[in-house]
Amino acid sequence: MKKHLSALALVFAAIAPTAQATEAKPLAATIGHVQNLSGSATVDRAGAALPAAAGMVLLQGDKVRTGRPGAAGVVLTDDTTIALGSGSELVLDDYAFAPQEGKFALALKLMKGTFSYVTGQIVKLSPESARVQTPSATIAVRGTKLLIEVAE
Amino acid sequence: MNTKMSSNPTHHRPSSARRTGGAWLGLGAVLLVLSGCAARQSVVLVPDPAGHVGTAEVSTAAGRQTLQKAGDMTQIGKASAPPTAITKAQADFITATFGEALAIEPMPAQITTLLFESGATDLSTDTLALLDGIVTASKRQGVVRVSISGHSDATGTVQLNNEISYQRAERVRALLLERGVPARLMDVSSHGKGNPLVPTADGVSEPRNRRVMVVVR
Repeated sequence: MKKHLSALALVFAAIAPTAQATEAKPLAATIGHVQNLSGSATVDRAGAALPAAAGMVLLQGDKVRTGRPGAAGVVLTDDTTIALGSGSELVLDDYAFAPQEGKFALALKLMKGTFSYVTGQIVKLSPESARVQTPSATIAVRGTKLLIEVAE
Repeated sequence: MNTKMSSNPTHHRPSSARRTGGAWLGLGAVLLVLSGCAARQSVVLVPDPAGHVGTAEVSTAAGRQTLQKAGDMTQIGKASAPPTAITKAQADFITATFGEALAIEPMPAQITTLLFESGATDLSTDTLALLDGIVTASKRQGVVRVSISGHSDATGTVQLNNEISYQRAERVRALLLERGVPARLMDVSSHGKGNPLVPTADGVSEPRNRRVMVVVR
C-alpha cells in the first residue's frame, strides 16, 4: 500500500509542476511591443526573421535587430523602454512581470550597437531581479536611464 | 588567433636583452589583439525622463564600477579586465554615438489614474469624466497600445484583492470599448496589492492604491 502511495505521489509530482507552469505562464505571452521604427528592423523568433512593424507584439526570447539605416523603440509591459540605433541587436532573454504573484525577472542582452535604456516597474519593485548584459559586463540598475554602446 | 600571437616571441632567441624586447613587443601585440577582439563597451548614466538620476553597477569578472552622477561613464574591453575608472561622458561623444537611439526613443506615455471606493468596481461620475481624455489620446496618430492595470489597497485577502483588481480593470476596458477604443489596442492586467502607488503595511486602507491605471502609448 505504501509503495502504491509513493508511486502515486511520484506520478502527481511529475504532472503537477507541468500543469502549474502552463497555467501560470502561458507560452507566447506578450512582454512588450515595438513602439516606433525608422529604416529597417527585424525580429528573430523561433528561427524565423520577421520584419518589425510599429505595434508588433514582442515575446520572451525575441531578438530585435536594426539595419543600416535602421532604428527602433521598444516598450515592455512594465514600461521598460529601449531604443536601438542602427546596426544593433537586443535579445529579450528573460522576462516576468506579475506583481500579483510577486514574480519579477528582466534580462536584456545587448549584443552590439547603441542603446538608450530607461528602467521600468520591475526595477522599481524588485531591482535585484533586473540585469542588463553586454558581451563582457553585467549591469545592475537602480531606477534610471543609461546609454550603452557595444562597438563591433 | 591569440594563442598564435603569444607564441611568436619565443621564436626570437638571440641575446637576452633582445629577447626581453621581443617579449615586450609580443606582449604588446597580444594586448592589442585582445582589446581588438573584445568589442569596446561604454556605459553612460544620464537623467531619466523625469529628471531623476539613479545608479548603475557595471561588473566584469575582474572588477566593478558604480555610476552615480549624471554623465558618469565607464568602459569595458574584455570580461577578464575591470571596467575603467569613471570619467565624464562629453556631450559631443553622446550626440555622435547615441544620436540615432535618442532620436527614436518612444514618446512618454499618457497615464491616467482612475480611483475607486473601497470594495467598489464602479466608477464615480467624476472618474467617468476622465475616460474622455483616454479615448481622445487613444485616437492620436501612432498609438499602438492601451494598457489597463487594476490595483487594490492592502486591506482584505490576497484573493479578494486580486479579484477586485481584475474586475476594476475589466470594467474600465468595457467602458472604453463602449466609447470606441478598439479592442485590439487594449490589454488588461491585474496587480492586486502587489504594485501600490503608495507602499503601505498590510491591512492599511489607502485610497490612492485602489485604482486602475490606463497607459496610452
